[in-house]
Amino acid sequence: MPEEQTRGRSVYGIAAIVFGVIGVAAAVLAAMIWSGHRGEVIERSHQTEVLQTAAQWTGLLINLNKDSAAENLQQLRDGTVGQLNVEFDNTMAPFTSLVAKLDSKTVGQVESVSIETLHHQPGDAQGRPQEDPQPELASVAARTDTVLVVATSVNQNAGAQPTTVRWNLRLDVSDVDGKLLVSHLETIR
Amino acid sequence: MTNRLRVLAVDILAPLAAIAALVFIGAALAWPRWWVAVCTALCLLVVQGVVVNLVLYRRDGVTVGTDDDGPELRFGVIAVAAAALAAAVFVGYTQWTLPDRNLNRDSAEVVGIASSVSEASATFSPSSPNASIDRATALMSPRRAEAYRNEFAAVAKDLTSRNISGQAQTISAGVEAIGPAVASVAVVMRGTQNAPGKPADIAVLALRVTLEKEAGKWLVTDVAPINAR
Repeated sequence: MPEEQTRGRSVYGIAAIVFGVIGVAAAVLAAMIWSGHRGEVIERSHQTEVLQTAAQWTGLLINLNKDSAAENLQQLRDGTVGQLNVEFDNTMAPFTSLVAKLDSKTVGQVESVSIETLHHQPGDAQGRPQEDPQPELASVAARTDTVLVVATSVNQNAGAQPTTVRWNLRLDVSDVDGKLLVSHLETIR
Repeated sequence: MTNRLRVLAVDILAPLAAIAALVFIGAALAWPRWWVAVCTALCLLVVQGVVVNLVLYRRDGVTVGTDDDGPELRFGVIAVAAAALAAAVFVGYTQWTLPDRNLNRDSAEVVGIASSVSEASATFSPSSPNASIDRATALMSPRRAEAYRNEFAAVAKDLTSRNISGQAQTISAGVEAIGPAVASVAVVMRGTQNAPGKPADIAVLALRVTLEKEAGKWLVTDVAPINAR
């Protein structure tokens, strides 16, 4: 009898150890599943913020009016970083001169924003990713996402037919110390 | 030393792991009301068990983990905790990991399909007028494919008679919105039209392609210009 009892105990003991190991393995897996999902959720919320930033910035750009040009341009400049910030005046010169020259009222609307996941360089059939053109930005920005923005603006010039301008833009939005700033602006032509 | 380990594993960690697993399942299921009820009841049972274990320890000086006369109960406690953790892994995998994986795979897939259909819809060759139509409709839902064929037949005839050819290449594309069964993709492409004796006409087109998943396959339901104003 005592022998049987000992054997019985050891069977339960071994089974308990086996289930313990299964439990530990399951706990590790659950932790991995949770952290993987959390990463995805953070990624998605970051993408949403990037899209918001791009939409707001473009909204300012396509609604440049003579009266509010100075204020809007300052806001636009504040939302930029890197090369675009350094060359902001040059990049914006065509817009500002046009706005100043024409007595125009512009009403613009962002039609579509999306994180770019497919990009073909002109003349590059393989769609190779662009070489990082701003190496100095890479050191300050945690990450950079490219946003595809499609917008329409209607220019109401004094005494002229309204003209519709279609904007197909590629914006690079960089995360610099938790702040989302536009680091590159390209018009798709 | 062995006793301390037993107390730690069976009397402390096992109930904590069981409660953690129940809460994990709740989080993965996004806390439906029925699980709030089930989880509360089960957690109370676990807490009750822990309290009884503590009271008996104070009376007898022995716990479930250290009781040499009760290996079955010890095994039972560990098995229940392991089962709860395994269930948590299963629910987490089906509710979080699989949908996340599908979403990422679908995102890549719909962009590829949208880009192909957009390119095909702006590509035309007078020598084989149906080639690009076939290529585009192959990725469309049957209803949309038929409408597209009807729409394009007249245009194709006109283009063929004027000997106009067209090519298009996607420059940039991204997912605007995506769910388990529907998606909307923005595609910006450069279209070139060649007519005999005229310089090539190049235009940048922005299209919104909407897709639906039918029987596990993404099909295009509509292709429309984004800035139609």
